[in-house]
Amino acid sequence: MDAFVHGLVSLFDIHLLFLIFCATIGGVIIGALPGLNATTGAALLLPFTLTMEPVPAIATMTAIYCSATFAGAITAILINTPGTAASATTCLDGYPLAQQGQAGRALGMAVVASTFGGIFSVVCLMLAAPLLARAAYHFSPPEYFALTLFGLSMLASIGDGSAIKNLIAGVFGILIAMIGVDNLTTVERFTFGSYHLYEGIGFVPVMIGVFGISELLVQSEKLHLRREVIRMKSVELPGAKDYRDSWRAILRSSGIGTFIGILPAEGATVASMIGYNEAKRWSRNPKLFGKGAIEGVAGSEAANNAATGGAMVPTLALGIPGSATAAVILAGLMVHGLQPGPNMFTEQAGFAYAIFWSMMLVNLLFFFVGLRGAKIFARVTLIPVEVLWPVVFVFSIVGAYALDQSMFDVWVALVSGVIGYFMRRYGFSVVPLAIGLILGGMLEQRLGQSMVMLDEKWWLMFTRPLTLLFLVLTALALFGPAIWGRLVTRRAPLDSTGE
Amino acid sequence: MTPTDKPKLLGQCERWLIPVLILAFCGATYWVSTTFKKMPPILKRGIQPSDFPQLLVLLLVLLTLLMVWKDPVRVRDRLMGSTLGTIALFAGFAALTSIDFFLALAVFATVLALFWGERRVPVLILVGLLVPAAIFFTFDQVFEIRFPRGLLTSIWYG
Repeated sequence: MDAFVHGLVSLFDIHLLFLIFCATIGGVIIGALPGLNATTGAALLLPFTLTMEPVPAIATMTAIYCSATFAGAITAILINTPGTAASATTCLDGYPLAQQGQAGRALGMAVVASTFGGIFSVVCLMLAAPLLARAAYHFSPPEYFALTLFGLSMLASIGDGSAIKNLIAGVFGILIAMIGVDNLTTVERFTFGSYHLYEGIGFVPVMIGVFGISELLVQSEKLHLRREVIRMKSVELPGAKDYRDSWRAILRSSGIGTFIGILPAEGATVASMIGYNEAKRWSRNPKLFGKGAIEGVAGSEAANNAATGGAMVPTLALGIPGSATAAVILAGLMVHGLQPGPNMFTEQAGFAYAIFWSMMLVNLLFFFVGLRGAKIFARVTLIPVEVLWPVVFVFSIVGAYALDQSMFDVWVALVSGVIGYFMRRYGFSVVPLAIGLILGGMLEQRLGQSMVMLDEKWWLMFTRPLTLLFLVLTALALFGPAIWGRLVTRRAPLDSTGE
Repeated sequence: MTPTDKPKLLGQCERWLIPVLILAFCGATYWVSTTFKKMPPILKRGIQPSDFPQLLVLLLVLLTLLMVWKDPVRVRDRLMGSTLGTIALFAGFAALTSIDFFLALAVFATVLALFWGERRVPVLILVGLLVPAAIFFTFDQVFEIRFPRGLLTSIWYG
C-alpha cells in the first residue's frame, strides 16, 4: 500500500508532469503520422532518456506508447490510413463516418473508447502485475526457461507475417543475442576478434534500425502517394444514443484488449481485430459494420488502447514483453539498470506504481488532448514524407550514436535497417527479431541454470508441474493453430454433406 | 523473353534466393560455432558455449525447410529505384562520416529530401541544416554528448 501511495506522490513533480504532458503531445503527433507508430517512437526516444532518472525516462516512453496508440485513430478516420497498425480496423467504420460528414463524431467516440479502454487496462495492470509477480517469485530457472520459451512461441502469431516466418525472425534475433562473451562460461562467441562485438550487439541500435530506418526504406516505395484529409469542424463527444449503442462494445473490447495485451508478445493490433470482430458479432446492426457503425470505432479503439496496459503486465512482472512497444520499454528498463520481474515489486515497488500512475495520467491527458487538439494533429498528417523522413533519419542515427557514443552502433542501426527492410519485403515481421534479441540471452542463461540445477538431466523439466504447463502452452501456441485449422477443414466437408 | 516475364523470373529467383541465403547463413554460423572453446566438465555450467547456438541453427534450418514447403517467399513487386537509391545514399552517408559526422548528417538529409522530390529551398535548409544543427546543439548542451571529432565539429569543440 505504501508503494501504491508513494508511486502516486512521486508524480507530483512539476518537471515530471510537464515531461509526461510533452510526451503525450509528442505521442499523439507520432501516432498521427503515417509510417511512425508507438514502437518506432519509443525506440527513437529511448536514447534521449539516458540522462533522465528511471521514473521520468520510463514514464515518457509509456506516455508515447499510450498516446500514439490512440492517435492512430486520427489518420484512420480522416485519411483512411491507419497511423498505427492497431488502428487498421478503425478505418473500416471511421472513414465511412467521416465521408458522411461525421468525422467529429467518430473521433469523439475514438477518444472516449480509447480513454476508457486505457484506464480499464491500467486498473487491471495495478491489480494483476503484483499478483503475477508474487506468483512468479517462487519460480526456479526451469520455470523461467519454460516461461520465456512460451513468450517466444507466441511470436508465431504476431505481426502480419506467417507463423513460420515469424519464428525464423525470432530465432534469428536469438542468434544475434549470442554474439559476445557468454555470461555463463566467459567464452567469446561470434566476435571475430573485434572488441566492438565483445559485449554483444546492443538492442537499442538494432531496434532503431529495424523499426525506424527500415520504415524509411518502406516509405521510399510510397513517394507517389498523396494523402487527402477529410475536413471536420470539431471533435464531438458522443451523444446518448451513441453511448447506448456502444457501451457494451467498449466494455467487451476493454476486457478483450487487456487479456490479449497480457499474453506475451501479442499487442494492440491483434486486440483491435478481435475487439472489432466481437463488436460486430454481438451488434444489433451487424450489417452497418464497414459502412459507418459507431460501435465498430468503439470496439476497435477500446481494444487497442486496453492492450497497452495489458502488455505492461508480463513486461514488468515477468520481464517478458507483452508487445513490440513493450519490448522497447523493456530495453529501456534494462538500459537504466532496472531488472523487470518479480523482484521489481519488492525492491522497486515505488517505481512500478509510479509507472502505473503515469499511464493512468496519460490516458486522462489524451482524452483532453484528443478532444481539443485532434483537428490540429490531423494537419501533421500532411507533412510530406520527403520532409519528415530525412528528419527521422537524423534522429535515428544520432539516437543510435548517443547510447554509447559509438559509431559502431550507427553502423549496426544502418545495417539492421537494411536487413529489416528486406525482411519486411519478403514477409518476415521484424518484431520477433527484436523480441528474440531481448529474450535470447535470458533464455540461454535460464537453460544453463536449469541444466546445472537438474544435474544436466533436461528431461527432469517435465516432472515439474509449472514447467510442464508452460511447455504444454508453448506446444499449443506453436502447433495449436495448425491442428485447429486441420480439424476445421476436415469438419467442413462433413458438415456440408450433412453427416 | 517479354518484358512481363522479367519480373516473374526475378520473383522466382528471389523466392529461392531467400531460403538459400538463410541456409548458407546457417552453415556458416554452425561452422563458426564449432570453433568456440570447449569448457572442461567442471567449468561448463550445464551446457557448452556452442550447444545453444548450434541448437538454434538446427531449428533455423528446420524452419527454413518448412517455409519452402509450406509457405514460400512471395515477391509482390520489383525493388523500386527510389529504395535502391536510398540504400546507396546510406553508403554515401557512411563514407562521409569519416570526414565529419555532423556534415554527413546534414548532407544526407538534404540529398535524401532532394532525391525524394523536395525542391523548396527553405524546406531544404530546414531539413538539411536547422534540424541537424538543433539536434547537435541539444546533444552538446543538454545531454553533454559529443559527436566524434571531424572537419566541422573540431571547429566547435576547439
